Amino acid sequence: MVHHKPKSRLPFSWQAAFSVLMFGFMYLPIAVLAFYSFNQSPYSAGWKGFTWEWYIKFFNDNRILAALATSLQVAVLAVAVSAVIGTLMAVGLARYRFPGKGIYQGVAYLPLIVPDIAMAVSTLVFLAAIAIPLSGGAIQLSLWTVVAAHVVFCLSYIAWVVSTRLTDLNPHLEEAALDLGATQVQAFVQVLLPELAPAILSGCLLAFVLSLDDFLIASFTAGGGVTTLPMEIFSRIRTGVKPDINALSVVLIGATGIVFSIAEYIRFRSERKRTR
Amino acid sequence: MSNPSLTNRAGTKVATFPKWLEPLVMLAPAGIWLSLLMVIPTLLIFQLSLVPGIRPGQVVNPSGLDNYFKIFQPGYLPVLGRSLFFSISSTALCLLLGFPVAYWIALMVPKRWQNLVLLGFVLPLWTSSLLRSYAWITILRPTGVINSLLKAIGIPPLDILNREPAVLIGMTYSLLPYMVLILYASLEKLDRRLLEAAADLGATPQQAFWKVTIPQAKSGIAAGSLLVFIACMGDFVNPELLGGASSMTVARLIYNQFLGATQNWGFGSALSMMLILIVSVAIALQVRYGDSSLRG
Amino acid sequence: MLSTIPSSTSLTRRQFLRASSVALIGFGLSGCGWTLAEVRPATQPRGNKDELYIYTWSSYVDDPLLEDFATLTGIRVIPDIFNSNETMLASFQAGKGAIYSVIYPSDYKVAEMIEKGFLSELDSSRLIGLDNILPKFQNPVYDPGNRHSIPISWGTTGLLYDADTLNPGPEDWRYLWENQDKLDRRITLLDDVREVMGAALKSLGYSYNTTNPDEIRQAYEKLVKLKPAITAFTTDAWKERLLAGDLYLAMVYSADAVRLIKENPGLNLKYTVPKSGTSLWSDTMVIPKTAPNPDAAYAWINFMLQPAIAVDVTERLYFATPNQAAYDQLPAPLRDDRSLFPPNEIIEICERIIPVTPEATELYDQYWTKLTSS
Repeated sequence: MVHHKPKSRLPFSWQAAFSVLMFGFMYLPIAVLAFYSFNQSPYSAGWKGFTWEWYIKFFNDNRILAALATSLQVAVLAVAVSAVIGTLMAVGLARYRFPGKGIYQGVAYLPLIVPDIAMAVSTLVFLAAIAIPLSGGAIQLSLWTVVAAHVVFCLSYIAWVVSTRLTDLNPHLEEAALDLGATQVQAFVQVLLPELAPAILSGCLLAFVLSLDDFLIASFTAGGGVTTLPMEIFSRIRTGVKPDINALSVVLIGATGIVFSIAEYIRFRSERKRTR
Repeated sequence: MSNPSLTNRAGTKVATFPKWLEPLVMLAPAGIWLSLLMVIPTLLIFQLSLVPGIRPGQVVNPSGLDNYFKIFQPGYLPVLGRSLFFSISSTALCLLLGFPVAYWIALMVPKRWQNLVLLGFVLPLWTSSLLRSYAWITILRPTGVINSLLKAIGIPPLDILNREPAVLIGMTYSLLPYMVLILYASLEKLDRRLLEAAADLGATPQQAFWKVTIPQAKSGIAAGSLLVFIACMGDFVNPELLGGASSMTVARLIYNQFLGATQNWGFGSALSMMLILIVSVAIALQVRYGDSSLRG
Repeated sequence: MLSTIPSSTSLTRRQFLRASSVALIGFGLSGCGWTLAEVRPATQPRGNKDELYIYTWSSYVDDPLLEDFATLTGIRVIPDIFNSNETMLASFQAGKGAIYSVIYPSDYKVAEMIEKGFLSELDSSRLIGLDNILPKFQNPVYDPGNRHSIPISWGTTGLLYDADTLNPGPEDWRYLWENQDKLDRRITLLDDVREVMGAALKSLGYSYNTTNPDEIRQAYEKLVKLKPAITAFTTDAWKERLLAGDLYLAMVYSADAVRLIKENPGLNLKYTVPKSGTSLWSDTMVIPKTAPNPDAAYAWINFMLQPAIAVDVTERLYFATPNQAAYDQLPAPLRDDRSLFPPNEIIEICERIIPVTPEATELYDQYWTKLTSS
């Protein structure tokens, strides 16, 4: 493991020892899941022999794979919409003064602080009490209502990350482009966007992971027959069906680890380029 | 944040579309989305919270604060108290466990390794939160990992699954990485020269820590605590999976009013509003506290 | 990614206060007198003719069953699972129910759903094999003449325990209270208000369906005493934990118990029906008025009514079929399984849960929330 490297170069201190202990705490559950995923015995804590059985079961489990597909679909759609309107909102808020801006700003970042359960409840009530009756049943709880609800918090997160980048951006760049005869759209697309791209990307990554991990909002807004991965995992944990769920966790942890490392590597490289 | 000169310049150029349209194009989509799915729904549950005991299919007729009074009845007050207890204890635990780690990474690990070490610490954050709670079930079960180990060395078993300690462990575990990240961000900015100056002036390491390090990390401590507190107040997964029969929290109670056994949308809405109120008070306190720490 | 972590929130108090004051003004302007989340039948047919969404208990369908149906009719069945009648109805009313064409409520919930006007009346001319249903299920109290519902499974509620750990095992509900110290945090009860309150009522010698506030309160107080021994109220999360030895005893439905016992012959699990009596339940299939695909729903119900299919599911999923023709074809060991098909002397001491008055329902709910919240 990478994080043990610096330890050897450090003089011993209780902070170091404590931190190593905390690293152990952070990785203990993951190690336990991995251990069980290869353990023949589904229930006992002891080692009963090595097996791939749970992995084979997992990759043949259509319900889990379908739930995974649903979750990816929701996350991709929600993040795509939020990336556009969230970025526009962040830039707009940074640029313009208008009456009621304080309120707009307050509402814009509300999803970051309102607890998930409260958001889930209010969205469900809105859909059940207004959207469905007013649309005469054309709007129903479905995959799309989950996407719509996810856009709310995704767009807040993306706008927030983008706005932190906007504050330390050189404001004269776009101005210069306009002076050189670029149209507003050109200046936005060719000057501002590339500058914001890393922030938009990391905002999207954050929103994507949050969307993939969301259980509450999805379970309140999903229609019948729509099951996201967290919903499927939750119902399996409750019913305690066989440990192929351990295999699922190891696969998921591996996959997110890889995606995350790649993203971090790209960010690291682009940052290096910038500082040079 | 706003830059008037930029707006003025833009105005003098030949625009591809009218000047007034630009802010509208930028702000309207998100604005409409947020008002439809954030503002109106919140108003709606506020209205519902004024209807005592309403269930789907009944007529909405706001008639007072009964649902709010109900929260403070002896039957439900312990639930609120338990939620606050979980949130405050988890916040304290995260601070206690997270501070040394953040301190170590920010001030004792060589600069070029810091990012990597920090990354290593928060990596588990990127796995499904449900699965992490599930892992804790496996660890804490009466016949689980910990108890098998304890049995092997002859110590009586720990029976903590489906009890308060299990929920606390789960919450602390889920939120520790956030705390470390935020503390790290504030400790990393710490002016080391102040520490050296303190040492030169004859301060012991303890004195230097309490008089120099802590005051400078104050805003980080406040921000981290706020985030952990809010997240714990709204946490459903950990109390539900690790808590069992005797750890009802506000979030679980809300869930039950809508998708659970007792259908009572009015009471659920009142509880949601209460949750939002508690979170707002916490933020208000933090804003106030954060301001004063900046001034001082 | 790390750069995105804030040092403090960007909200200021003033913005926040302003936002909330606007929220309050907005409320003042909004109207009242509308009906909350009314369940209305669809105005036009929706959905794909080749898809059938059903809402059922966790142990009532499996892949082979769905495949058989798909090969026979070309209709793909998508099952969603619920774990209590209350959550089923809550989800249904919250707007999630519009996609289902078949739902599996239990007896007293059928009555409630009929009363609320959610269920469509079944067209008996489109149903084949109704005569096969055992006479005692032909005219149930919850739905006279089976006009809205078709029974699919029945059974008792009882105690499943590990006979190696608990010896002698329980014979009555009283056992729970008498052996509370031994069972400390080792039992689960069902996540169902009427079942759990009913068990306590029965142990006190009262009826499952009492509306007497005093009796209900006594039952509640008795359960409060048992509370320390209960690790969870759950309908299905006890299985793994019982097998792993984390639990000694669980209050379960007979169908689930028989299934777990048959699937784990290596363990000494036993199911018992409490002597003082328990609840007798039947689960049914209904078609909601909002059903997007009633044709497929009839096809599914007819499919499940076929004796051959009923035998098949009874053998594979272990639920007690109320189908006389199927029962006759069952292998003897299964047919004589007293846990799966309780004999008449047990049925006689059992009671059916029936809907009670709204006031009593409210009282049950209140105590239940108190019990599960404290």
